[in-house]
Amino acid sequence: MEVLRQLYDMTALGEIGETPGVLLMILIGAVLLYLGIVKKYEPLLLVPIGFGIILANLPGGNMDVVPAEMVELPGHRYMNLFEIASEYGIMNFVYYSLIKTGFLPPIIFMGVGALTDFGPMLRNLRLAFFGAAAQIGIFGVFFGAIALGFSAKEAGSLGIIGGADGPTAIYTTILLAPHLLGPIAIAAYSYMALVPVIVPLVANRLITKKEFRINMKKQDKLYPPKYKIKNLKAVKIIFPIVLGIVVAILVPSSVPLLGMLLFGNLIKEIGTTTSRLSEAATGPIMNTATIFLGLAVGATMTAKVFLDLKTLGIIVGGFLAFAISIAGGILAVKVYNMLAKKKINPLVGATGLSAVPMASRVASEMGLKHDSSNHLLQYCMASNISGVIGSAVAAGVLISILG
Amino acid sequence: MTESFNQAWVLLGVGMVTVFTVLLLVVLIGNGLVLFVNRFLPESESGKPGNAGFKSAIHPSKVAAIVAGVKNVTAGRGNVVEIRKNKKI
Repeated sequence: MEVLRQLYDMTALGEIGETPGVLLMILIGAVLLYLGIVKKYEPLLLVPIGFGIILANLPGGNMDVVPAEMVELPGHRYMNLFEIASEYGIMNFVYYSLIKTGFLPPIIFMGVGALTDFGPMLRNLRLAFFGAAAQIGIFGVFFGAIALGFSAKEAGSLGIIGGADGPTAIYTTILLAPHLLGPIAIAAYSYMALVPVIVPLVANRLITKKEFRINMKKQDKLYPPKYKIKNLKAVKIIFPIVLGIVVAILVPSSVPLLGMLLFGNLIKEIGTTTSRLSEAATGPIMNTATIFLGLAVGATMTAKVFLDLKTLGIIVGGFLAFAISIAGGILAVKVYNMLAKKKINPLVGATGLSAVPMASRVASEMGLKHDSSNHLLQYCMASNISGVIGSAVAAGVLISILG
Repeated sequence: MTESFNQAWVLLGVGMVTVFTVLLLVVLIGNGLVLFVNRFLPESESGKPGNAGFKSAIHPSKVAAIVAGVKNVTAGRGNVVEIRKNKKI
């Protein structure tokens, strides 16, 4: 009998029985795994996050991320990484060295930059403005969040979900409200995965049938661009360098994200000379960063932190931020069309989010449904890519004002 | 609460003005670069002697096959810079 008791005490069964919230968290982790594996919703992030949640919530595993106060020492000092690892386990070592320092999101942004082609935006530069208009959800939802009882920093972290950019949302939250990292990361990536549902939901309510049929190619023929790019490769190489310098001067707090994005893009555009760097940035480095980011973010989601009314507020507020951003882009196009001769399909505005390229693909398919000759993809990509820049700048503003 | 709402208005104003300003700069820089490159660094009509040259002379599917072959043999380390026909053979 004593042997059985010893065996029982060795397992986590007793602790699971005492804290039923753990079972709910394991269920949430399993649901995320299901969405990632079976439904293929953002599997590269949801699978590590889901598994991280399960690991963190199994009692005795020492894989849950502890609050910052627990690693704080008297005199505003912190435990060193060796002490953190030996006291609280390897997941805290990963979290405090790679996440809490804000290291991984810019590294992922470097990979995103190396996968991004600024070509469509450079060919349709005026469409970049709609990437700005679609950031309205980030700042708009701030009011609602304050009314719901969120602090200013928490409201800023919630609002950034409206930028539809996972690394940006994580980076901003680490700096403003790290205790909300788990729910905000989950909400951001879930809504990004739901772009094929949310974009049509908003667009069908705001765009008329006549507007859906605005054919961008025909508009280009009616009102051709003033000049053609005679050496796109050279423009693509110089562009990230010049833009990086200008943005660094105007919004320095956005540089960790935007600077790394532009660096990644530069090593891609240079071509064969730096192809090994861009292959590393988009392959091993980005993949490794994604694994650690996902697992550590999942490990922050313990029952105590996640099962809270604020999580519900984040889920609702995140959706509103997302929807307001899409609506902002669409309405900006409508205003533009009232003033300009050359009309723009409002679906281009709907893609001002930075969920690249899914938002563009969804909008393009919607356009084709209304007019089979209306290929919008390259136009949508223009505002979509500018949305990446826009959301990183918006994050910089939030960090510099609220941080 | 009122203070927070005031901060929200400031954030909305500053944030949207900054985002629009940066993207306006993106448009201006982009247009400026296009004009600069068109004036000083235009690509010749026939294309560059390297990549663009072989792409026009050889069928794209053949180029793709050669590039894929080189990537495979060199385990992704090698890159095709130029493809030329050997006239002696």
